[in-house]
Amino acid sequence: MNNPLVQPDPGLYIWAILTFLVLLTLLTKFAWGPLLKALDGRQSAIRKALDDAQQAKQELERLEQESAAIMRKARADADAVVTESRAAAERLREEMRTKARAEAEGIVKNAERQIQLETSRAVQQIRTEAVELSVQIASKIIQRNLSAEDNERLIQEALQQVQARH
Amino acid sequence: MLQDQVQEAVERAAEHGADAETFDAGRVIIEHVSNSSKEHPLLHLPTIMGIDFSVTKHVLMLWLVAGFVFLVVTLTVRRYLKQDRLVPSGLMNALEAVVEYVRDTIALPNVGKKWVNVWTPLLLTFFVFILCANAIGLIPIFELLGLLDYYVLHTADDSLVKHLLHGGTTATANYNVTAALATITFFSIIIAGTRAHGFVKHWMNLVPHGLSPVLYILLIPIELMGMLVRPFALTMRLAANMTGGHIAILAILSFVFLFAQVAGSWLVGAGVGVFASVPISALLSGLEIIVVLVQAYVFTLLTAVFIGMAIHVHH
Repeated sequence: MNNPLVQPDPGLYIWAILTFLVLLTLLTKFAWGPLLKALDGRQSAIRKALDDAQQAKQELERLEQESAAIMRKARADADAVVTESRAAAERLREEMRTKARAEAEGIVKNAERQIQLETSRAVQQIRTEAVELSVQIASKIIQRNLSAEDNERLIQEALQQVQARH
Repeated sequence: MLQDQVQEAVERAAEHGADAETFDAGRVIIEHVSNSSKEHPLLHLPTIMGIDFSVTKHVLMLWLVAGFVFLVVTLTVRRYLKQDRLVPSGLMNALEAVVEYVRDTIALPNVGKKWVNVWTPLLLTFFVFILCANAIGLIPIFELLGLLDYYVLHTADDSLVKHLLHGGTTATANYNVTAALATITFFSIIIAGTRAHGFVKHWMNLVPHGLSPVLYILLIPIELMGMLVRPFALTMRLAANMTGGHIAILAILSFVFLFAQVAGSWLVGAGVGVFASVPISALLSGLEIIVVLVQAYVFTLLTAVFIGMAIHVHH
């Protein structure tokens, strides 16, 4: 085994193991350890950021839907209020119109009754006066003084005749 | 650039060979892919329990790669994490792509969600360390240093610079290094199984439950062999791939000097170099870039698969 390519060299073997182990220890402590931790941290940070963004997007969508619903409801409410007040106004107007008409009718009816009353009183008066006049005229004509009792009776008869004729 | 540098290096070697008046391609190639010799290490260290701990070229390369990887990765990560808002920029983009790829494509499908953060650091270290150790072999830094020494520095024969020039640059082309890495994998598998199922249960998981005792006599040795074969395959695959490409490139570049020598004219060698060796080895270097990436990936992936098999036992 004189070939220098395959010479066993325990010294080199042990140096190589030692060198590698020292390098492994130092790199793990100063480079790989912190780096792997940082990479893991960054990975989870990115994942969290993406999750947060997703969540924010969903939240935003939810809020948009909510606000749209609120707007829709507000618009419907306003419409209802407008319709209701319009109806109320209409109703009020109708009521007032009815009331005014009733009042006017009352006034007219009152006036008519008054007129009727006055008319019938006037007619009564005229009638009484006409009877008295007829009696005076008749007594003058017959020139005979009837007793007060006869007089009254005659008047009544005449009145009854007038009324029956009427 | 690599080709030029390697060519220069081969030329230098050829000049050494010129002392003996012949160009020994085999010797030159081996010199450029093997470790520097134990007899002339960069730094003599005592032998403990029969093991020579002297620092050779490949040990130095391991340290350079480890230091480079540690500095680049740590500084990039620190600068990134210092920001208030974690926005990756510059080198961090590339590093983050690597980290996420290893974590999400290699570690996660194999070891599962529960263990991914436990084993990702190991897999990441495997990947960047092997990748850099592989890739640094494609950059002819020591060939450049050799040129500088040859033309400018003129250092003495036993100077540190001259020592640095010996031996290959790719530490992962050495079986001892890849065996060390595979040993880490071997123990990682046991640790993974132990942490997931407990020590005793892990060893019992090696074979399926409820078979006849006769089968166990057959199965237990097979499974134990399998335990050892896996890291052995890792060792061989990585080292052989890293060595093979370099040898191919160097062999093709050697044609320049072999032809020059056979024809007795440097013009022939230059012609072969310009029209054959350099274009072919340039293509091979392009291929090597892919191999470098793929081998780092394969080692990491197989480690993840083995660890995953210890955690999620299927029979």
